[in-house]
Amino acid sequence: MNIVRGLMNPFAGLRSIALTLLVVGVLCPLQAMSQVPPRFYWKTLSGANAVPLIVTSMTGNTNPFDAAHTITPGAEFEGTLALAGYARTFTLFDRSAMAAVLLPMGRISGDVITPLGEPVSQSVSGFGDPTVEFNLNLIGPKPQKSIPDVLRYEPGFSLDVIADLAIPIGEYDSSQPLNVGQNRWYGRIGFPVVWQLGAWVPGRRTTLEFLPAVWLFGDNTDYVGKTLETDPLFQIDAHLTRDFTQHFWGSLDAAWYNGAEATVDGGKGEELDNYGFGLTLGYQINDNLGLTFSYKSTASDQAPDDLQLDVFMISLVSGWHPIIEGSKRLKGE
Amino acid sequence: MQRLTHQLDGRPDRFGRFCKGLGIVGAVAALAAPALALAQSAAPPKRPNIVVILGDDMGFSDMGAFGGEINTPNLDSLAKEGVRFANFYTHASCSPTRSMFLSGVDTHLNGLGNMSEFTAPNQMGLDGYEGNLNDRVATLPQLLKDAGYHTYMVGKWHLGKEPNQIPAARGFERDFTLLDGMGSYWDDWNFSAANPRSLYTEDGRYLRSLPKDFYATKTYTDKLIGYIDANRGTGKPFFAFVSHQAPHEPYHLPKEWRSRHVGAYDKGWDALRQERLKRQIEMGIVPAGTELAERMWFVPDSTLLAPAARALMGKKMEIYAGMVENLDHHVGRLIDHLKKIGEYDNTIFIVFGDNGAEGNDLYELIAGSPGSRDFLFAAMHWSRNHPNAWGDPGSWLAYGPAWAQVSMTPFSQYKAWLAEGGIRNALIVSGPGVKRPAGSINTQGTMHVADIMPTLLEVAGTSYPKTYKGKDLPPALGKSWVPVLEGRAESPRTDQDVLAWEIFGNRAVRQGSWKLRWQWRPLGKGDWELFDLAADPGELKDLAAERPDKLKEMVALWDDYVRTNNVVLPNRSPHEALEKALPQRVPVQAGYPPLNLKRQYVPPKDMLAEPKP
Repeated sequence: MNIVRGLMNPFAGLRSIALTLLVVGVLCPLQAMSQVPPRFYWKTLSGANAVPLIVTSMTGNTNPFDAAHTITPGAEFEGTLALAGYARTFTLFDRSAMAAVLLPMGRISGDVITPLGEPVSQSVSGFGDPTVEFNLNLIGPKPQKSIPDVLRYEPGFSLDVIADLAIPIGEYDSSQPLNVGQNRWYGRIGFPVVWQLGAWVPGRRTTLEFLPAVWLFGDNTDYVGKTLETDPLFQIDAHLTRDFTQHFWGSLDAAWYNGAEATVDGGKGEELDNYGFGLTLGYQINDNLGLTFSYKSTASDQAPDDLQLDVFMISLVSGWHPIIEGSKRLKGE
Repeated sequence: MQRLTHQLDGRPDRFGRFCKGLGIVGAVAALAAPALALAQSAAPPKRPNIVVILGDDMGFSDMGAFGGEINTPNLDSLAKEGVRFANFYTHASCSPTRSMFLSGVDTHLNGLGNMSEFTAPNQMGLDGYEGNLNDRVATLPQLLKDAGYHTYMVGKWHLGKEPNQIPAARGFERDFTLLDGMGSYWDDWNFSAANPRSLYTEDGRYLRSLPKDFYATKTYTDKLIGYIDANRGTGKPFFAFVSHQAPHEPYHLPKEWRSRHVGAYDKGWDALRQERLKRQIEMGIVPAGTELAERMWFVPDSTLLAPAARALMGKKMEIYAGMVENLDHHVGRLIDHLKKIGEYDNTIFIVFGDNGAEGNDLYELIAGSPGSRDFLFAAMHWSRNHPNAWGDPGSWLAYGPAWAQVSMTPFSQYKAWLAEGGIRNALIVSGPGVKRPAGSINTQGTMHVADIMPTLLEVAGTSYPKTYKGKDLPPALGKSWVPVLEGRAESPRTDQDVLAWEIFGNRAVRQGSWKLRWQWRPLGKGDWELFDLAADPGELKDLAAERPDKLKEMVALWDDYVRTNNVVLPNRSPHEALEKALPQRVPVQAGYPPLNLKRQYVPPKDMLAEPKP
């Protein structure tokens, strides 16, 4: 009898639901462009792991390895940036938490103006400054300590605090202005907000996300023989994200940068006051792999001292959790 | 006296005029009193309104008044003011029950010898197997209407869709009706490609579309309140059949009702059945010592489930509970309105579920196999089945056999079967005419849904006729509850009276506390089983082998039922291949096998040691 066929396995599909929910949040990568992609601060099961692999192609008048977005008027850089990292979710003070480390690497080339005002063509490559990030949820759903918690997760309105710190051990050549390492400590304090709009059903999820943050920069005391100081950078990222299907989503992205006035041996540079816009498309390939594609570009950037940046980014993130992997082994997958 | 005489002699003064006036008044009063008394005795007493509330697939133990943990204050208030019956029988599925309620006649005579969805080849075209309420029976609303009642219906009909079969043609003056047996609560999507749209009528006209802001349970209540108010000025009582779709699957529920019990059911079905049984015993719904029926053998021990499985399965029950609570809320709106307009105290309420809780999964039937037509239909219209979407339009949720057994605590099995879990349901009667102690529980009376017809006709001051519009009527199956409601009797039946059922080839007979049952394998034995319900309400012990004398006696009653009620056993049944579809049936005993129930052994501390080098 058909109407009782379902009794045979009343739990069919349970694992795939759990899997789907597990990987949603953790697969979005941290990136070193000082812009956090949409859906990064969604929460997932404590104990989940993720390894992001990110490839970025950019052009602009700022060094993509430089979170301060220090403008080099008239310069045009082209760069390819790759990021590899590791993130892990856990519970701290009965709140959701995450720690991540990212190592940027890549190459960049272009014409730069030296502090002496001379145009120089440069090409550099190597490892950048590794970044560690710590995130803790302050307001919002309880941590997901078990799969039932994952099943019941809805962000509603959630507020986190994040702290990033870049460690100045990347490759740096003090004789040239363009480097992948920044030769100074820098970091960020921010308060990510995720605001759920409507139902929390895969295929129909909509969020409005904000990340107000301030970047703080130490001094680079060996910047082509000079000292580079940078004022704090205030930045707000905003994303309106929406599922198209259960596995396919998109986001309209915007960012505002203000501050980060650079001073080189007392000579002041320009203060940033720029907007950027972009879009992101995300697709969850399977239970372990997520793919995103994004493009971002600064707006109102015709003046030489405006921030000019456009970036293509593709990210592939692998996520896993021991429970899920064990279940798959038992199923012979 | 002299003065008085004087006055009467025609010399009226002021006092005299007063006394004369008194005398006239007195004389008039004396003359008028008997006439007034006569007039009062001749005027028909004010007859009560009647509201019959049906919860579609609502289980025996779901309401708080029957041991459920679900929050049903409004239904419970009716129980508190009235009387509960713990021995009330319906049929095992919806349209057969509704047909008996509305006609008072056995299903094999009234057209529902089988559900229209499952009419067997050998039943096609036979009288009594039309699949709709046939024209050889009179209906309760027809007879009440003839007796001077307004007659209203809202909700699910499932007794025929043709113009001569719809509620307006069967005695309801006003109706807002879902003609199908199920469908979306949010819109008019139905469940199969062949029948994609639910059909609704309003006052006898087929609706092209549904009202704005339609949600079945709410809209049905709104409509009924409107009907009641529209005819208040006529002075006539009303009969309202509130045939709620809720809590039948798919569990469609406004979002604000879905999250009231998050995690509450993670404890699992076994624990919940125990809790409900405990409350039922404390309340007196079932006697002390009642044993729970066996858990279905293909349902796992809920304590062995992983937390995720418990959470996911528990969420199904959370939403089902929300369905029942939402139903109760709208019943409360109706009650409040009747109180507001002053009709509540003159209204009889009858509340019951139409059959056992639904343990089958119709979604499987709908979705079928990939590549089938209905699979594509389900993919388009019924695939919003992420747990967070449960309750939304386009979702399909049913709670399955494990929770259905909870809803039918303490009984065995569920809807579509003739175990007690398929046909025993909760019954509440309250209002004028109920003279039993408020809040009392009757466990002695063997009540049947067909009894409602003669009961309400008696309440309305009429009776079941032998003919209707020139046609002879089949005999009424039921017996009036009036003596029971008035406390003059404990049961409308004697121990010799017989009740019998047949649907899909499953058969049952009850006489006194004995029950004879034949069911398709593997839920039955494909043979007669015999139970003593007084000692074994959970139908755990088949006495067929021990009591061949009683078995023979009961089989004879079955044969008699077949002869007198036009029973044609189906040559095809939806249950016919079930034995091959389900796992092999094995007894389910708590604690067996102990294999994965054994706890870690902890040795004595003083015997612990590190390994020697």
